[in-house]
Amino acid sequence: MPLLEVKNLTKSFGGLIAVNNVSFSVDEGEIVGIIGPNGAGKTTLYNLITGYLKPDSGKIIFKGEDITGLSPNKIANKGLVRTFQIVRPFRHLPTIANILVSLNSPRGRKKIEWIKTPERKAMDMLEDVGLSDLMLEPAENLSHGDLKRLEIARAMALEPDLLLLDEPFGGLNPVETEYMVKTIQRIHLDGHTLVIVEHKLQALMKLVKRVLVMHYGEIIAEGKPEEIAQNKKVIEVYLGKAI
Amino acid sequence: MWEYILIQGAISGIIYALIAIGFALVYGISGISNLAQGAYFMIGPFLYGVLKETLPDYLPNLSSNAILVLALILSCVITAIIGSAFYRITLHPLLGQEVNILIVSICVCIIFQQLILIIVEPGKTFMFNIGELLPGKLSIGNVEVLKGKLLAAFVSILFFITLAIVIKGTRIGKAMRALSEDIEAAMLMGVNVERIFMLISGIAAFLASLSGIFYVTTTTYNVSVWMWLQGLAWAFTVVVLGGLKSLKGAFVGGLIFGYAEIIIKKVLPQGGLIIQSFPFIITILVLLIRPKGIFGKRIEME
Amino acid sequence: MPINVTKYLWKIYTEFTTRIYDIPPRMLGFLSFIILAAIPLMLDPAKLDFLIIANIFAIFAASWDLLVGRTGQISLGHAIFYAIGAYSTALLYIYFKWPLWLTIPLSLLVGAISAFVIGLPCLRVKGPYLALLTFALPFSVKGFIYYYSDIFGGDAGIPPIPDKLYEFFPMLSGDQKVIANYYLSLGLMAISAIILYKIATSKTGLTFISILDDELASKACGINVTKYKLMAFIISGMFGSLAGTVYAHMIQHRVDPLFLDVTYSVYPIIATIIGGIGTIYGPIVGAYIYCFLDRYLFQYIIPCISIPLGDHSISIPLGDKDVRMLLFAAIVVFLIIKWPRGIARTIVEKLEDLEEPREIEEIEKEKKLQI
Repeated sequence: MPLLEVKNLTKSFGGLIAVNNVSFSVDEGEIVGIIGPNGAGKTTLYNLITGYLKPDSGKIIFKGEDITGLSPNKIANKGLVRTFQIVRPFRHLPTIANILVSLNSPRGRKKIEWIKTPERKAMDMLEDVGLSDLMLEPAENLSHGDLKRLEIARAMALEPDLLLLDEPFGGLNPVETEYMVKTIQRIHLDGHTLVIVEHKLQALMKLVKRVLVMHYGEIIAEGKPEEIAQNKKVIEVYLGKAI
Repeated sequence: MWEYILIQGAISGIIYALIAIGFALVYGISGISNLAQGAYFMIGPFLYGVLKETLPDYLPNLSSNAILVLALILSCVITAIIGSAFYRITLHPLLGQEVNILIVSICVCIIFQQLILIIVEPGKTFMFNIGELLPGKLSIGNVEVLKGKLLAAFVSILFFITLAIVIKGTRIGKAMRALSEDIEAAMLMGVNVERIFMLISGIAAFLASLSGIFYVTTTTYNVSVWMWLQGLAWAFTVVVLGGLKSLKGAFVGGLIFGYAEIIIKKVLPQGGLIIQSFPFIITILVLLIRPKGIFGKRIEME
Repeated sequence: MPINVTKYLWKIYTEFTTRIYDIPPRMLGFLSFIILAAIPLMLDPAKLDFLIIANIFAIFAASWDLLVGRTGQISLGHAIFYAIGAYSTALLYIYFKWPLWLTIPLSLLVGAISAFVIGLPCLRVKGPYLALLTFALPFSVKGFIYYYSDIFGGDAGIPPIPDKLYEFFPMLSGDQKVIANYYLSLGLMAISAIILYKIATSKTGLTFISILDDELASKACGINVTKYKLMAFIISGMFGSLAGTVYAHMIQHRVDPLFLDVTYSVYPIIATIIGGIGTIYGPIVGAYIYCFLDRYLFQYIIPCISIPLGDHSISIPLGDKDVRMLLFAAIVVFLIIKWPRGIARTIVEKLEDLEEPREIEEIEKEKKLQI
């Protein structure tokens, strides 16, 4: 049974169809990428899956359970966790406190091993993403690259079964990008299932085993990275019909 | 009886719509929820009362009607200037900080209230009557309506139409619409945000003070320093009913509110006291049933 | 034996010097408490009344700050909780003749329940909606109270509550009662402050701030934002009612619709903005500053303003009350624009810059020592 099943998901705003009858599934242990030009509906898709938007029609089944229409925090507590395209740290809190918020959720509190205190666990998570020195720094003072890593750490604190990353490489310089690639690879090797929406195709294609291509709210292609890179329709969509 | 309700409800509804439209205008275009609208609702009548009495000393040649009209216009214009100035001084630096804007505008309401208490001698009462402007009654069907009230309604509708024309037709109106969609994009297009916001604050203040004067001359015949509370509560309720950013909604909401009020007054004994709780009850109902209001979110015109 | 003593001394030491999540040294709070407790020895009791009010307003302001400064739910009608506290304790006493030690806690319960009821619709709305909703609330309830004048006493309010606070101590003179009132209010304020502090430094307090900063992100972390917002409402309502209850018994001895005035909604705002929004000590210090200014400064400074205008100079005689409210509102506007952090907070932050933050490792080490 697939970990996540999206069936015929549709959402429109006014007259504009943002997501048009999208269906796909993700198996446990997979690492899947979603690409597509701006406005293709990728973030809307995420918002639908994670409960921030209610679909007009369609179903979302996670671990065999129908989660369509549930609130975002309930979905997160079931193990379906997301990050945001534009970072959303808790600015007034120190870095470590950002993680502690996740650990204070019902899922976070369940999963803390009984030996470790939440503070200890949070420190470990920060170490995993390399933010240990900035532990007590208010989140508002962090650089963009650091904030991206904080997003990931905060999501990982919930020990997700499925992690949805929204443009994790956005705005990162080559060094930070490489570090992020390694971090994501490590998360995947640890056994987590990942779906990544991303524009930086080089970084993404290295990471994922399967790619979905979205355009105007529909999935227009699906397959291995090498296949997608050769797919005529995909190339057209990205570069325009001139070629 | 029903015709009475029909007509009187429309008239009071239009007056409510007047103050609500100012609020919706400012919020829709600038995202600023300027609670000082209530204060303008109060300042207008006070200025009108003061001017009514002092102008004859300075312009003894004008007829009493002319004095009244002049007082009306002047008080609204002065309020508009106060509105613009207040925006520039206090709200502009706070753009984007919603909580602070709300706190500041409430404090400004209090400041104006206290100023009026200080400047006006205690115990002074103003006698307002729309009949002064236009005496006499008119018969519509079976109902006798004060000509003055009809004049108020008529003038208000004139302003609505003018506003709609300005927003839809003129270049400034286009700038306003652009700002209501996306402030940054509008700035990039060269729109002078500060000036436009000052302008709409002035317009909103003008409309609020006009509404206040009409209200006072047709209903309470006197002003009180607590008027701004009512004005604010009504403006808010109407706007929530109609949809926070929608001008059309403010108009329709005002009418609905006006009718509801008059029906309740006729139906319930001592309904006047319950009327005070009205804004809250209606607001709660709307928020529970359809939070977006009747006409939803984006700024819409006639 | 000696080892136990050191352990306790160490515990006290760390209790007061540990900084967690940027809350300043508690030593400062403790010292101020000592000073405040010593005041009746220095001041003559007749002057204590504004300090009693300061304590009450401190509780009131702190309750407002919890809601607005910590979870970002703006309340412009906090007077409602003040009035609920005052009215419920008075009603319970007058109509049921229950003793004070019962009506006061019950009024807290009523406050909590009303906060729950009021909070429910407020949870659905944000920003200006919420502000205006809370603003319209006391105003609307006033109409309701006048309608049912027979129960609520209309304008005159509920008949004076007999001064029953010290009925078991008839030997106390008037002056001594004032001092007793002062200590009682000080104690209540200290307890409220400690409770609010504990909440603020707990994981719940952390969650509150996460809601203030970014509700959507908080939801993404699995936090049931609605639950926490309601929780904040209830706590805020409880402490707000406490303030109203204490005021009704200690000062007013009478409860009238004045409590629902917009001015009572503005008092906590003034106090909190002056002190520093979003902190525990801010509203408390702000309340003290407000009461001090209210009592001493403004009365003596501005009796009358003369504006010379050529022939006719306008002389505006300024009555007492008018100026003060006007000036306070103007101060709030000024502070928000130029100095949004508030006076107390700026001072505290300057002090913090002098102190070095300690690593959580050390804090953990100390914690282990206490086991």
